[in-house]
Order: sequence, then C-alpha cells, then structure tokens
Amino acid sequence: MRRTYLGEFEEMILLMVAILNGEGYGVTISEALAEHTGRIVTFGTVHNTLIRLEEKGFVTSELGGATAERGGRRKRIFRITALGNQALQEIQQLRKNLWLLLPPDMLQPGNV
Amino acid sequence: MKSPVQPPRWARWLLSRLHPDNTLEEVTGDLDELYTYWYKRSGKTQATLRYLLNVVSVIPPFVRRRNTDKQYYQQPDYRPTLSLKSTMIQNYLKIAFRSLKRQKVATSINVIGLAIGLATCILIMLYIQDELSYDRYNEKADRIFRVGLMAKLNGEDVGGPMLGPNAARDLQQEIPEILKATRILKGGEFVSNGTSSFKEDNLLYADSNFCEVFTIPFLKGDPKRALTEPNTVVLTEETAQKYFGNQDPVGKVLLFSREKIPHRITGVVRNVPTNAHFRFDMLVSSPDDDEQHIGWMYSINYYTYVVLPEKFNYKQLEAKVTRLAERQIGGELQEFLHLSPKQFREKGNDFGIFLQPLTKIHLYSTFGGTELTPGGNILYVYVLMAIAAFMLLIACVNFMNLSTATAVRRSREIGVRKVLGSVKRQLQHQFLIESVLLAIAALIVGLLIVAISLPFFNQLTGKTLTLSLLTNAFVATGLLVGTVLVGLLAGSYPAFYLSSFEPVAVLKGRITAGRGSFNLRSGLVAFQFFITISMIIATVTADRQLRYMQAQKIGFNREHVLIIHDTQMLHKNEILFRDKIVQSPLVITASISGQVPIGNSALDNTPVMSRENPDKAVMSRFYKVDDEYIPTLGMHVMQGRNFSKNSSTDSSAVILNETAVRALGWQQNPIGKELIGHIDDNGVKTYYQVIGVVSDFHFESLRQKIGPLVMFLGGNSGNILVKTRTGQLPQFLASLKQQWESFSPAAPFSYSFLDDRFKQVYVGEQKIEQVLTLFSGLTIFIACLGLFGLATFAAEQRTKEIGVRKVLGASVGSVVALLSRDFLKPIVIALALASPVAWWSMNQWLKEFAYKVTIDWWFFAVAGLLAIGIALLTVSFQSIKAALTNPIKSLRSE
Repeated sequence: MRRTYLGEFEEMILLMVAILNGEGYGVTISEALAEHTGRIVTFGTVHNTLIRLEEKGFVTSELGGATAERGGRRKRIFRITALGNQALQEIQQLRKNLWLLLPPDMLQPGNV
Repeated sequence: MKSPVQPPRWARWLLSRLHPDNTLEEVTGDLDELYTYWYKRSGKTQATLRYLLNVVSVIPPFVRRRNTDKQYYQQPDYRPTLSLKSTMIQNYLKIAFRSLKRQKVATSINVIGLAIGLATCILIMLYIQDELSYDRYNEKADRIFRVGLMAKLNGEDVGGPMLGPNAARDLQQEIPEILKATRILKGGEFVSNGTSSFKEDNLLYADSNFCEVFTIPFLKGDPKRALTEPNTVVLTEETAQKYFGNQDPVGKVLLFSREKIPHRITGVVRNVPTNAHFRFDMLVSSPDDDEQHIGWMYSINYYTYVVLPEKFNYKQLEAKVTRLAERQIGGELQEFLHLSPKQFREKGNDFGIFLQPLTKIHLYSTFGGTELTPGGNILYVYVLMAIAAFMLLIACVNFMNLSTATAVRRSREIGVRKVLGSVKRQLQHQFLIESVLLAIAALIVGLLIVAISLPFFNQLTGKTLTLSLLTNAFVATGLLVGTVLVGLLAGSYPAFYLSSFEPVAVLKGRITAGRGSFNLRSGLVAFQFFITISMIIATVTADRQLRYMQAQKIGFNREHVLIIHDTQMLHKNEILFRDKIVQSPLVITASISGQVPIGNSALDNTPVMSRENPDKAVMSRFYKVDDEYIPTLGMHVMQGRNFSKNSSTDSSAVILNETAVRALGWQQNPIGKELIGHIDDNGVKTYYQVIGVVSDFHFESLRQKIGPLVMFLGGNSGNILVKTRTGQLPQFLASLKQQWESFSPAAPFSYSFLDDRFKQVYVGEQKIEQVLTLFSGLTIFIACLGLFGLATFAAEQRTKEIGVRKVLGASVGSVVALLSRDFLKPIVIALALASPVAWWSMNQWLKEFAYKVTIDWWFFAVAGLLAIGIALLTVSFQSIKAALTNPIKSLRSE
C-alpha cells in the first residue's frame, strides 16, 4: 500500500478523533486539542485538517446530531477508519523503534 | 428553537456568502456552539472577536473545499478526465474548422472585423513607436540635454531652443557636472564640386566634439579629428554619392558659397536616422567666432547641447545653470540696454535658461518654427493611443457579438455533446479554442492589411515606417500573446453562455437570450455609433474648413505667377536678368523682391511708429519690393498710388496695408502721413512718407490674422516673380534656365509656382482631413459589423415569432420594419450624444484658425442621416432575409 504522509498536526487531530471515539466533531475536537495539548488554533485550521484527513482516507464522516445550541444544524461527526488506525500504529511503532536505538545515557533527563 | 446568544448577524451573513456551500451547515453550527461557549466564559466582546477571527479562518482563500464527489473518497486513484487531452483537442480543431467552413459569411465578417481592428492598432503602434523613438539611437540619449533660452519681452514669449555662441563654452568651463557642451548652427549654402552646383538646405555647422556627444557612425574618416580644422566638411553617404558617385570623397574639396571657399572633406557618415530631431546632408566645421559679437544674447542662433554624467538628475543642475545665466545674460543686458536684471524684470520682462532632455525634444518642444525639424505632439500620441484602444475594444466587442450570434445556431450540437457526457469545462474549452483560432486568423489577415497599407500610411504621415519592428522577437511574441488573449476574451462570453444551456431545453429548441444581454448589446451599438457619428461630423467640418480656406479671397492673384529663387546669387545681373525676362512675349510683368506672400512664416516683425505718436510701436512685417510688385501680384491699391520708377522721392516712401493704417491710428486719409521706419544705434530716426494703401491680403496661411504690413521701395533681392500668360511654359522655362546659366552663378536654377506654394500651406489640414476620412470610414465599417451581428442575433431569436406573424398574414415589409425599428433607437441616442461632443471638439480645433467656417446644423443632419442610412442598409440585409424565410421552416420543429 502507498504510504501516505501524516503531518504532526494531522496526527494530533487524528488522535483526538480516535480519543473522542464517535463523539468527535469540530467543536469537541478543538476543545480536546486545547485541553490535552494546550494548543489554541483557529477553527479553520481544524476544519481544513479534518477535510484533508478525510481525503487521505484516515477518517470518515457523517452528518447528524442536531442540537438547539447550534440552531438545529447538524454536526459532521468524524470516526477513525482502519487505515487511520493503522497509520497511528505505524507511527507509534516507528517511534518505539527509534527510541530503542538511542544511546542509554541520552535518556537521562538533563543530558539532552 | 433558537439559542439565547447569537453571534453578530452580519458576520454570519458573511460566512454564509463566502463559505463553500457543502460544508456551510456544520461549520455554522460549530461556530455557533463555540460562540456560546466563549460568551459564557469571557463575555460578549471577546466572543464576538473570536467568532470573527474564526469566520475569517473558514472563508476563502483560507478554507479547504470539501469535494462532494463521493467516489473521490472511495477510490483513491480516481482522476477526472482531462478535457485538454490531445485527442480532444484534435476533435475541437476538426469541429472548429467544419463549423467555420459551414458559416463562411459569418466567419469572414468576423475575421475581417477583428483583422481591421488589429491592423489599425498595429499601424498606430508603429507610428507611436516611431514618435517615441526619436533621438534614442544616441548612446548617451539619456544624458544629453539641450539648453534653451527663456525670455519675455513686453509680455510676449520670445524664448526658444537657441542661445548665443558663448553659452556652450561657458557652461562647460564653469560647471564641472557638464562633461561636454557642443553647438549646432543651421545653415544653407550653395555648394559646388567644380562642375555642378547645388543648394544645400540641410547643412549644419558643428563643433569638433559634435561626434563625441551624438552617435554618428563614420564610414570613412576619423570621428575625433574630422571637424577640428577650419573649413572641413563631413558628408552623409547620400550626399557623397550625389557629388562624387562611387569615388572616395575623403580628401577632395568642395567650394562653398559665391566666394567659392574651398572646404576639405574629412569623412563620410551614415545617413541620419529619420527619427532624429536634426537632419543634415553635410556637417561643416564651426566658423571662427566673430570676436566682436559674442555672448549669450547676441546672435542667438546656436543650438547648445550638454552631456551630463551617468544617472545624474538634471534638476539638480538647474540652480547652478540659472546662476551662471543670471551672471552672463545679466551682464549683457547691462551692456546693451543699460538695465540691471532687476530693472529689466520690473518692466515686466524676464529671462533665464532651461535644460531640455534630448529624448523629449521631438514630442514636448513648443517652439515649432524655430526647431531644427518640425516636431511631433505628445497630445496626438495620446489621441492616437485612444483611437487604437477604441478600435481594438470595438472590434473585440463585435467579435464577441458575432461569435455569440453564430454560436446560437449550434445549440443542437451543444445539446448533443452534453447528452453524450461532455461537461461544462469541455464545452468552454471547445469554444475558446475556436475563438482563439479565429483571432489568430484575424492576426494573419491584419498583418497582411498592414503590409499592404503601409506605403499609403507612410505617405499620409510622412514617415518611413517599416515592418522590421514586428520581426523583433519580443514584439512578435507580444503580438501573438495579445491576440490569443483577445481570442480568449472574445470567446469567453459565448463559451460560458453556451455551455450553461440546459441540454433538454436546447434539444427542444427553446433557448432565448435574456432581455438584459440584448440591452447590453444595444448599448455597445450606441457607443459605436456615437464614435462613428462624431467622426463623420469631424470629417465634414474639416472638409468645409479646407474648402473655405482654399476658396478664400486672399487679396492677390496667385494664378500664373512663376517664382525664380535665389536670384541674389546673380549680384548685379539680377536686374539685367529681370529685364531680359520681361522681353519675352509670354511675360506680362516681373518683379524682384525678397518676399513672397506665401510660405515664409518667420516671425520677423519690426516696430514702426507714427510721427505724431512715436511711443506707440506697431509690430509690422516689412516687404522690400520694386515698382512692379503690386501689379505682378494683382494687388489692389485702395488709396494713393503705387511706387514709381520716375519719382526720385519714392525711396523714402512706403505703402501700407489696411491693417497697418488702422494700427497706426490714421482713420482718414493716411496719404502724406509720416512714420518712423528705422532708428539706428545712435537714436537717429528715419522718416518715411505714406504714398499708398493696398487692400489687406493674406501673406501667411489663413490660420493667422492679417497683420500690419509696410512696403519699402528698393533693398529688394532674392526672388524674381514673373506674371506669365498661359502658353508654352516648358520652352519658356528652358530658355530661362539657359539665360540663368549664361551668368554662371554659384546657384542652380530653381523655380516654383505661387499657386503650388499656396496649396503647400494647407498640406497639414489636408492630412488631417484624410486621416479623419480614413478613420471615420473604418469606424463606420466596424460599427456596421457590430450592427450586423446584433441584427443576425435578433433575427435568430425571433425566428418563431416571424414565422407565426407570417402565417397570420404579416407582409414582408411589416416584418422588415418590425426588425429594423429596434435598431433606430440606439442610433438616435448616439446622435443626440455625439452632436454636442463633436460640436465642442471641432470648435476647439477651429480656434486655431483666424478665418473659419461656422458649424451648421446640417453637419449634424448629414452625419445622422448617413449613420441611419448605413445602419438600415446593414440591418435590412438580415431582416429581409428573415422576413423572406418560409414560415414552415421555422415552425416545423414544434
């Protein structure tokens, strides 16, 4: 399979979608990102990244779940796909392997 | 149900307008939710600000568009078919050629219209390019400046491009920034190579560093040493050929003037380019300065040029130059007029000098007659640019109109293509390719037209333009790219309009253009006719003015008057020659005078005063004549008498024209009154007695008002004016030439006819009329094309209506009237708009003339009728065709 590149921010967003597990849409993803990483970004950034992730096939989306708070408008709810899951796993595996290659003394805090 | 807190409505409106439709719902919802959250946490202002920031982040160009195509997400390798694949392009080209071939008339009209627009544009561009290229061939073009004199005397501007002989030397010595200064003096001389003699009018006296300032390519000789010695001369190729054929002229000698002073030839240079503000056939080394009369203000005949360092702003120099001029000219004023500069200025006079960039001399100089060659006018360049732009714009608009009109016939093709799966973009490409193809065809035809019409255009403009500019790679690509752009632009409307048809409607034969687009087209037609009608009115006015000027009573008889030039070269034999001429049976009278009433427009007015009122100077033209002058030119003596050979006192007598009498203030009986005609350096006045008055005659063109004129007896030399009977002129001229040569003068025999010279004066006006006629013809043609396109379109649109009308019994005439009526409206509007504009601008033009026609109402009537007539003719071609069609054909498909 062609390896699709996953950027750092994309990876974060993808992780948030995975964490929210079926509850993820624009607002919750932005809030989770702020909560877990402290990053405050514009809504457009999140929106664009989600569309890009969907184009790459890492997430799927469907419309649903209108509430009064949003004036009866539907949400676009994102779910991670098997491909997205695999991509996250691969990244994690790659990191693990790379960490194992580090010289042992580098792991000591203060030596970096 | 609505949420209690709402973001600003206008911000949400902005979002709804600009955000892509397919994600609008969820984004609006998300942002609302966020707004509520921010509102609760940090208040209204913060929330609104954040909301705005985030709205901006989801509108173009920041937002990413979501692709609606479901398949896109399911098949990662899916790519939409490119409509510009080579097979498709082949298909487009094939279809384009087929459909163009099928509609031969429409295609050729379309191509010719655009071709004419392009050709006019190219011709005008060539002209403008030439005008702008003046003097740029000089390597130092940007660093050379001409120093001119600014002077005001009695409120009149008497400055000009020339200075006294010393200015150049002083400027170079006193101002270190001036690297070089050089002078040119215009001259005319009789030159002979021993066997034959010529009158050389295009002769320049130049300083030895002339060739270091200007770029003059030498074919033979050394540019550095060519003009260093006195009495040396440099010839152009053409002149060298004239005197010496193919022999090497360097080192040979030419004899100058009647004293036959030998000048050695030290070089041969290339002919001067036509786009130079000076022209010469010979360059002669500057004569030694006359030590007595040197300075800045004495003998102001030298064109002075300076070279500045590279990238130097000449404005910085002006203060220094002004200071120097103040000192030099001020000193001279003190010496000659015994006035300090301050006193001089207090009398309402002024003086100074100024720098003029070399490259601006041709188009921006305002000195007219005192320039080395007649200059251009930057205003004409702008007007021509506007005309070129208009022509191109109108041609493009027509191209668009006609393409749309003809393309509507192909609606079925579009329908079928759409049904077979062609998408909008493919159709757009198809039509764009077609129109680019047509535009390129038009460019080729346009270039052909340019090539054919260039000689006529050159004749009209007096230039020697060539197509060589077009072979320049840069210009050629520019032209091609421009044409493709025109094609794309012109094709864009039909392309986008046609590709948006609903296939079902098209195949059912139901397409109609909206009313709006029809109005736009009518507006464009009105605009075109506005220009056309203005041009017709301008042409008619120019024509009337020209006829008026030529038919004017000029106050003397110009028929059968022969002028023999340069008779002063005969010295004492001048009178002998005249007496011999008079003996011929063909001659009625012959007169010797330096002044010919037409053609010399040098402004050499001299003050005269009446004896009673010596302080009031009247600037008058002086004519030095003999007793035969008035009868030879058939002038009318109103009061008193002509000069007489027998009266010894007539040498101190004068004859005035009516204007001079009025200006001097002698209402009744001026005969016997005296005027002061001359005051010498010591203040001694010479008085002249008035013996006669001639009725006013035009001694210049009708552009000027007749000024005061004083005729003196004697001191005359220069031309012999001969009044002849009609008869064997060629033999007569041959015998004159023989007699002339028997005196063996240094000048060749040359002559002209007075009425020819009269016509010469109006060449300028004639050219304006020709240019106007040409352009009005072209605009009429192009406007007709526009109308034709519109008529075709309208007839096409109303096919069914006409069919139904005919079935119900309408006559051909009524159908034609119905179709034509629509087109009269824009033309009438155009007439109403054009009339005042044309009236105003032609009045501006007529202001240049002292004697002029008035613009009558019938000028407008003629222009209007002409425009309407031509328009009806154009439209009726289409409407008659539509009216004659068998209604079955148009109604069959229903």
